[in-house]
Amino acid sequence: MKPQFLKGIRFTDLTWAGAGPFCTKIFSDFGADVIKIESTTRLDSVRTGGPFKDRKFGLNRSGYFASRNSGKKSVVLDVKSPMGREQVHDLIRNSDVVSNNFGPGAMDRMGLSYEDVRAIKPDIVYLSMPMYGESGPRAELLGVGMTISAVTGLMWSTGYCPGDPVGPGTHYPDHAANPYHAAFAVLAALRRRRLTGLGAKIDLSQVESTINFIGAEVVRCAMEGSDRPQTGNASDEAAPHGIYRCAGEDDWIAVTATTDDEWSRLARILGAGGLVGFVTAAERVSRREELDRMVSDWTAARDAQSAVAILRSEGVPAAVVASSRYLVEQDAQLAARDYWQRVEHPELGNSLYASPPYRIDGERVDLARPPLLGEHTREVLSTLLGRTEQELDDMERAGVFT
Amino acid sequence: MSHVSDNDQNAALHPYHGVRILDMTYRYGSYAGRLFADLGAEVIRIEPPGGLPDRIEAERGGTGALARFMFFNASKKSLVLDLATQGGIDAFDELARGALAIFVERGGPMYDRIAHLRAVAPQAVVTAVSPFGMTGPLADAPASDLVIQAAGGIAWMSGRIEEAPLSLPFDQATMVASIYAATVTAIALVDTEATGAGHLIDVSAQECIAHSLQNAIQVWDLEQRVSMRGGEGTRDASEDIFPCKDGFVFLAAPLALGSSFKSLVGFMQDRGHPSGAKFAEPCWQDREWRLTREARDAFRAIFTDFTRDFDRETLTREAIARRIVMGPVSRVSDIFDDPQLAHRGFFRTMTVAGREIAFPGPPYKITPELWSVSPPPLRNGEQGE
Repeated sequence: MKPQFLKGIRFTDLTWAGAGPFCTKIFSDFGADVIKIESTTRLDSVRTGGPFKDRKFGLNRSGYFASRNSGKKSVVLDVKSPMGREQVHDLIRNSDVVSNNFGPGAMDRMGLSYEDVRAIKPDIVYLSMPMYGESGPRAELLGVGMTISAVTGLMWSTGYCPGDPVGPGTHYPDHAANPYHAAFAVLAALRRRRLTGLGAKIDLSQVESTINFIGAEVVRCAMEGSDRPQTGNASDEAAPHGIYRCAGEDDWIAVTATTDDEWSRLARILGAGGLVGFVTAAERVSRREELDRMVSDWTAARDAQSAVAILRSEGVPAAVVASSRYLVEQDAQLAARDYWQRVEHPELGNSLYASPPYRIDGERVDLARPPLLGEHTREVLSTLLGRTEQELDDMERAGVFT
Repeated sequence: MSHVSDNDQNAALHPYHGVRILDMTYRYGSYAGRLFADLGAEVIRIEPPGGLPDRIEAERGGTGALARFMFFNASKKSLVLDLATQGGIDAFDELARGALAIFVERGGPMYDRIAHLRAVAPQAVVTAVSPFGMTGPLADAPASDLVIQAAGGIAWMSGRIEEAPLSLPFDQATMVASIYAATVTAIALVDTEATGAGHLIDVSAQECIAHSLQNAIQVWDLEQRVSMRGGEGTRDASEDIFPCKDGFVFLAAPLALGSSFKSLVGFMQDRGHPSGAKFAEPCWQDREWRLTREARDAFRAIFTDFTRDFDRETLTREAIARRIVMGPVSRVSDIFDDPQLAHRGFFRTMTVAGREIAFPGPPYKITPELWSVSPPPLRNGEQGE
C-alpha cells in the first residue's frame, strides 16, 4: 500500500545526517510532501558517508542516505544568498512544518529562527533537535550519536562487567529514540493545530529524549540512590539470561528463562531437571555462572539454528544472534512477513530497504525511492511557487542552486 | 474534530485533548500509551482483577520492577474489568465504542479477540504489539527483550570482537517497539479522525529492532560486508571510550568530522604534551590506516597518555571551547547533577511512598508547554487525578 494518511502536510525540511532525516522520512512514507533543502557546498554528510553502490563513491550512491530519505523531494538552494533565502521563505509560507537538527544558533544565523519563521507563517510547527538543547552551559558541546549515549548513562551501562563501559555499537540514539520522539511530537503539534489553529515550537534535546529511553532505570536509580553494575547480557531478575556460543566460527544464540516455567522446560532440555538449588529465580540469579556454563556446554555442541529450534519447540525464548546478512538472507519470519522490499533508483539500481516495521490493515507500506541531489529544484519552485522558466534560469546563473 | 473558540482555552489545549485510548499492553507496547497520556489523551489501562503482568511484577518484584511500572504507566488511569464475564465484556465494549485508539499486546487481554475489537470499535485505531508480529512462523514463539534484540540484529552490533555480542541495557526492545507503535498510531489517527474509519496496526518488535541498525542493511546489500561489533574495520581509531583521571570520556575525531582531530592536536600542543607531536605525524592523515587495529592501539596509547592528567569536567570544558567532539561517559547517577539538564530544568519530582524522587522530564519541549506527567495508578483500578 502507498498510504496517503498524511497527504496535504508539507515540510520545509532542513534536517541532515542521521536522526533528523530519519524523523521526516516517516512523514514522506505516509504521503506528506517533504521538501528536503540541500546544498552542494555543505552536503548532507550521509550522502558522502556510504556504503556506496558497488563501493563507488557518488552523491547519489549512498545506501545510508537512501535509507533515511525515501519519498522526499530534493531542492538545492544557497540558503545564505538573498535569492535563495527568498525561495526558502516562500516554501515555508506553503508549509506546515519546518524541521532542522542543526546546533544551537545555526537557524538564527540563516534568518530562520522560530520567530523569523513564525513571522512568515504564524501557525507553523517548528522542530529543532539540537543535541543538548538550545541554551545552557553544555549547549555548544559537539557530538554524534555515541556522544549522546555517553552523556546519558547508556554508554556506561552497556558493558560486560563492572566499571568497563563498552557502549552500543551504533549511534543508537540517532536510530530510534530521537527521530521517533521528534516525529511523535510533530504529529502531536499538528493535531493541536487542527484543533486550535495554533502552531507550536518543538525543542527536542536529543540528550533528554535519549534519557527517556532509559527512563525506567533513571527512576530506579533515583529510588535506590545508586548505579547498577554492568552485567553484560545477564539480568538481575532471571537466569539463565545470556548470549551463548554455538558450533561455528562466530555463531551465537540468546537464551532466557524469565519464569519458573521457562526454567523447568530449559532444565529438561539441558538434562538438569533434577538439580536442587535452582528452584527460585533468586537462587538461579545467585548461581548464574553455573547455569551459564551448563547452557554454554549445551549450545557449543549444536549449530545455532538447530539449538534455537529445539528451545523454541519447548517454549523457551531463544533466537539466533542475527547479523545483517542473516536477517536479509536467512530470517524466515522477516521473509514470511515481506519485511524487505526492493526499490528501483537511477544510480543505486534495485536496492534493498527495510519496510516500516509494521503492517497496516494487513499490508506493507511501499516505499518510494529517495531523491537525487537537487532532482526537484526546478519542479518544486515552478509548480509550488510559480517561478517561471526565465526566473529559474536567472537563479541558476546566479548560483542560487548550489 | 471541531475548533475550540475561546483563545485562552485554545492555547492551553493539549494535543491529544478529547482522545480516549484503551491500553492493555504490559511490556513491549507500554511506553506508547505513556507518550499519548503525557500530551493530554485519556489513557486507561484495562486490567483483570489481579492486574496486568507488569503490575503483578511490580507488586512482587524489587525496585526495578516498580520503577518500570512507574515510568511506563505515569499519567495513565487504571480500570479493572473482568473480561471473562459478560458484564466485563459489555462494559469494555461500551468504553471501546468511545475510544479512538486501542493498544493490545500478545499475551494480554483482547489480543486474541481483535476481530471483536474491530467490530465493536470500527472507528478506532487498533494497535497490536507483539515480539514477532501477528503473522509468520514465529507469531507465537516465546520471547524476551534480549531474545528480540538478538533476533532483530542489534545484539550482533555491540560488544568487543573477541567477546560475545552484547545487548543494550534496560529493555530497549520495549522502547523501540513502543516508540514505533506510538508514531504509527498517531499517523493512523490522522486518517481515522478525518474519515471515521479505523485501522489495524500489527507492530513487530523484531522488525522495529531491525529498522534501527544504522546502515548495516545497506552495507550488506551494496557492499556485501557484514557490520561487526566494535566497529571492527569500519570505525576510526579515535571513535572510542578512553580513560581519564576520574572516569572515561568518549571521543570522535575522524578526519571527516569537522575540525575535531585538528583541534584535539592543538589542545595537546598548547599544553606542551608530547602526544601532540605524535598525532602530527603523517600516518594520522591516512584515513584507511586509521581504521586498522594497529592504529586503534596506537591511538589509545597516545591519547590516554594525555588524558590521564585531566578529569572529565576539564576535558568537557575544553571540548566545548575548542570544538572537539568529546564528552564525559556519565553513569546514570551522574545525570541528576548534569549542569545542562539542571539549566533546562529537565527533571520533575514525583512522590513515591511519601518520598520525593527525581523523574525524567519530557523527551521534547513543546511551546507553549503542553507536556505534563502525573503519578501512575499504583492501585489496580485507580483512576488518577
